[in-house]
Amino acid sequence: MKIGNDDLRARTFKWLFGRNSEFWPTNMKTGMWAWVGHRLTGIILVVYVFMHLSFLTQASLSHEKFNSLMQVTAQPAFVFMDFMLVCAVIYHAMNGFRVVLFDMGVGIRKQKLVFWIMMAIAAVLVAVGFWLLFDAGLFNGEWF
Amino acid sequence: MSEHRIATSKVAGTWAWFFQRLSAVLLVILLAAHIIAAHYWHVGEEISVDTVNERLKNVAFIAIDYSMLAMVLLHGLNGTRTVLFDFDMFIKRRKAVDKGLWILGIATMIWGIVILWPFISG
Repeated sequence: MKIGNDDLRARTFKWLFGRNSEFWPTNMKTGMWAWVGHRLTGIILVVYVFMHLSFLTQASLSHEKFNSLMQVTAQPAFVFMDFMLVCAVIYHAMNGFRVVLFDMGVGIRKQKLVFWIMMAIAAVLVAVGFWLLFDAGLFNGEWF
Repeated sequence: MSEHRIATSKVAGTWAWFFQRLSAVLLVILLAAHIIAAHYWHVGEEISVDTVNERLKNVAFIAIDYSMLAMVLLHGLNGTRTVLFDFDMFIKRRKAVDKGLWILGIATMIWGIVILWPFISG
């Protein structure tokens, strides 16, 4: 029996994301979560680079424009988004370091342990980043 | 996607893999320098044209910012390529994807050089 294109597409989708697939949340194990997180943070960071350049383009048009834009980005909501960005960078870097270690043949058999060690280091770095922003009063007491 | 897909590493190529790792290591160093210099060195102080001009009088910071942009583009777009190659429709158009990403990367690098120039020239 010939399978139609739509049918094949539906089956493929089910195979990829269905209840029995490896992407179904309860089926995902540590390594898969790490991979999905790496992909998501990677995509977010690529989008951010282009946003960053667009902002700078606006800012480079005139001194007044730059200074007023910087005042907007100093608002607590923007500082919080900056902090979320720092979290994404730290996660991506720490998990990336884990991938590089595996490429060198280090720790593959203990990949879950390596993941949690990296995440512990990431948590410390995130806490330091948060403290520096909080201590400088950048959240203005509005958010934290 | 199909059930008979080829491993992404085989499609993406060894050089792509190598430069992804190299740029990753360089980015950790450059990004740390950029974030500390631009955001944490004088944390809480208002960022203005004057403070950016002051920072970019130092050739080291210009070198850091431009080389970081190059590494970010290499790493980010190569990563995007890997993500795209998870899908059959992009593997089938591999050359077009490569060409598109190269053009995007070079154009963005020129864009980055041009927009930072007013701050460097003061």
